[in-house]
Amino acid sequence: MTAVLTRPVEAPAVHKRKRRFNATRTVVLGLAAVYFLVPLAAAVWFTVQDKVHGGVTGEYYTSIPQAEGFAGALRRSLSLAVLTVLGVLLVTVPAMLAVTLRLPKLRPIVEGLSLLPLVIPPIALVAGVRDMLALGPNQLAGTPFGDALVSSQDPELPIILVVVYIVLATPFAYRSLDAGIRAIDARTLVDAARGLGSSWFDVVWRVLLPNLRGAVLGAAFLTLGLVLGEYTIASILLFDTLPTWLVKISGENGQLSVSVSTASLLFTWLLLLVVSLADRPKTSRSDS
Amino acid sequence: MTTPAVNTVRARSFADRARRCGPWLAVAPFLIVMLIGLVLPVIALATGAFEGDSLKSSLGSGYRSAFWGSVKLSVVCAVLGAVVGLLVARAVLSGGTVLRRLVLTASGVLANFGGVPLAFMFIASIGNAGIVTGLLHDWTGFDLADSPFSLYQFGGLAVVYLYFLVPLMVIVIAPALDGVRAEWSEAAENLGATRWQYWRHVAGPLLAPPVMAGALLLFCGSLSAFATAQAMVGATVPLVTLQIANALSGNVSADNAGVGAALAIEMIVLVAIVMAAYWTIERRTARWLR
Amino acid sequence: MQRNIVRRGLVAGLLSVTVVAAVAGCGSSKKAADAQNNKTGAAAATSVQDLGGLDALVAAAKAEGQLNVITLPRDWANYGELIDTFSTKYGIKVNSDNPDGSSQDEINAVKSLKGQDRAPDVLDLGGAFAQSGAKEGLFAPYKVQTWADIPDNQKDADGAWYNDYGGYISIGCDAKKIAVCPQTFADLKKPEYKGKVALNGDPTKSGSAFAGVFAAALANGGSFTNIQPGIDYFAALKKSGNYIPVESTPATIEKGETPISIDWDYLNAGYTKELAAKGIDWKVAVPADGVYGNFYCQAINKTAPHPAAARLWEEFLFSDEGQNLWLKGFARPVRLPKMTTSGKADATLVAALPQVDTTKAQLPAPDQVDAAKKVLTDGWTKALNG
Repeated sequence: MTAVLTRPVEAPAVHKRKRRFNATRTVVLGLAAVYFLVPLAAAVWFTVQDKVHGGVTGEYYTSIPQAEGFAGALRRSLSLAVLTVLGVLLVTVPAMLAVTLRLPKLRPIVEGLSLLPLVIPPIALVAGVRDMLALGPNQLAGTPFGDALVSSQDPELPIILVVVYIVLATPFAYRSLDAGIRAIDARTLVDAARGLGSSWFDVVWRVLLPNLRGAVLGAAFLTLGLVLGEYTIASILLFDTLPTWLVKISGENGQLSVSVSTASLLFTWLLLLVVSLADRPKTSRSDS
Repeated sequence: MTTPAVNTVRARSFADRARRCGPWLAVAPFLIVMLIGLVLPVIALATGAFEGDSLKSSLGSGYRSAFWGSVKLSVVCAVLGAVVGLLVARAVLSGGTVLRRLVLTASGVLANFGGVPLAFMFIASIGNAGIVTGLLHDWTGFDLADSPFSLYQFGGLAVVYLYFLVPLMVIVIAPALDGVRAEWSEAAENLGATRWQYWRHVAGPLLAPPVMAGALLLFCGSLSAFATAQAMVGATVPLVTLQIANALSGNVSADNAGVGAALAIEMIVLVAIVMAAYWTIERRTARWLR
Repeated sequence: MQRNIVRRGLVAGLLSVTVVAAVAGCGSSKKAADAQNNKTGAAAATSVQDLGGLDALVAAAKAEGQLNVITLPRDWANYGELIDTFSTKYGIKVNSDNPDGSSQDEINAVKSLKGQDRAPDVLDLGGAFAQSGAKEGLFAPYKVQTWADIPDNQKDADGAWYNDYGGYISIGCDAKKIAVCPQTFADLKKPEYKGKVALNGDPTKSGSAFAGVFAAALANGGSFTNIQPGIDYFAALKKSGNYIPVESTPATIEKGETPISIDWDYLNAGYTKELAAKGIDWKVAVPADGVYGNFYCQAINKTAPHPAAARLWEEFLFSDEGQNLWLKGFARPVRLPKMTTSGKADATLVAALPQVDTTKAQLPAPDQVDAAKKVLTDGWTKALNG
């Protein structure tokens, strides 16, 4: 099983196999491109039509950054996103490694807890969060936990939103990391590394994480996408983040309400592309 | 390694105790965050669910058909999404790094997309006044409205749900696909296996656990989605999440919050049952990996 | 090794940003406590007399400097202009939260944000929610100066809530896409409208869609105690393909997906000007066979963080100026009958309202509405699915 210990290495013979796949691959990619791009194009086409003068116009996109409150909402969402990504990784990676390597009996609990947030509709979860937060100024007034609950709702940087977003992102992060951990056969790697005398920190930081880079990045992408697009919970808890601000400015203008969502999609995608540049392309099999 | 005799001597040194606590310290942040952000709110929900006769009314026939509708939709979407996601992921990952990077980042964005904007995108393309509908009509005379497919029914909703379920599957299965080494398929070929045998005996069992886990994720994701359905079909398709949204955040029925909470708790019970089934299957398929 | 240093530096930088940000959030529980300590007598005032006159109220409100409103879209019955006029007139900053929220969200916000500076001061709710909120003791009783102008059956005797504006269910129609615009519910059944009729949302969740079903019930032999004909009407409409369950929004109207939209007349009429700029001729008709109208209710949060500003807002809304601004938004303010006789209602604005035979119009009683809601939520999905 020496193949397991080596990092994914590209073998020259893979070129020969690629040509055999090409037909199915092209068809699948083509169909997928049509399915995903056509609705997006239809929406974008709707937003660039200038119904007043005829022709096309970009005014429904250029007016977004000019609307009042853009900078504040963007700043708030970005800081929430960064905190959430860090939080998700710091919380799930150690827990999952610990469960895989040392505490396998906890796996059902961890897996169950990590899947639960996905099952509860955000509407219901925020109802529960709201009831919990209501304890702060009422039954728990004056206690440290009660005060923490109240101060976590600071409109400039609501920590409660970070906590809830970490919870919401965990199902995705868990699945992504789980697939990665299984794929690299963590137990063997760890045994080998420990047998060669490295400390636990080195095992995690220098052996496991570099091999999990793809999975970690996948988890980070999902979390960023989640935070920058999450509307329900932020709006019901009355916080002003980018998605709630976008809905506020679009009001009843039909084209603007669609352009803000496509602009938000595009912006988040570009952001993720920038983040993905941090990944030196060694995790993909088919390197050039 | 140390002999059993040495192990039975309980080293009470601080270092030894710290080493034993290590894994628990690693799991602690996870448990604490889940406690504050998940367990406590669910308990708050449960207290709301058990007061009055909310629990009893939440099991009425209307809500039961809503549960059934939700489960049907979620199963269909999970299976379709898992299969399509696997195919798309394979096609993308065997391409270059540029395509991989573009698709994985796009998947991260689209996996969280939904609600009114997603509904509008499909309305604008294949709705009654959609661009694609119009083009189809102009080019081929085929009228989408006459076909059995309708955007505003169960089938249409499933098609729209795939828009965020397939990217989710792609991004979740990608690490597993990366782990299927090229060498294994070549080794199998060298040993005389056909492609079908390779898939049946090597890649298939290897990918089965993560694919099933992905399908479970998709099932839960489509079970809890509601904003898209609300914008597109309203309550004409029976879905339990719509009922919850109506009860907890609606403009029509006041004083129904208890029923909404009860329905949410029932959803959790439903998923617990599904997860139990999933674990039994998973233990069997992944046995050889342990 | 250089990459290691860069990576370590990045991690350290991100961690320190996190710590700073987390600490920065720790100081604001004090603000909420201070806000509560600074209350003047405004929180207990049940009318301007308690504070010594309108000028005293204005002074107290200006001292507070802010007003929190919730779930008020700017384009809903001209709320945008109401907010701006109030803000400029008294120099009070108005914070408008969650404009797309529902009445239930407002009640929840009052309960969960109690004691915080962000809690909503004033509420604009559906009738059922106003009553349930009053029962739970969430509202501060207050009688505006023009209290006597509000009919007795449109306000709570103690002043916990009071009707503010209302409208009738109407059929909006894109005259450029539809050859002959439907005028009644009977018209909507015609085959030429196949795939074109939509409600503003789902009747089990949206107040205006529920009202649309109720209006259809009135048009088909139902009454305020019998909404079933309305459910049957829409079931038939869906089967024939005329009704599509899409939520009608300005975007879907502009796209041409929902050229016929059943909605409150003030909302439909409000779209007309906006859509005219986009080349759409949006006509509004109140169907003569099903005249269903209803009002929304105002209430003041008992634990409002800005009690004087809240009461000033109510005085403003129920003054002639405020009521006329609602009229400008094509809504019918509750004082309209009295203002018409006294001549204070702006005649041009009244003339611009969608035509209704008000002699036929009656308002349902709150318990009739509640009973109808129950029938609807129980039977809607089954009727439209089967």
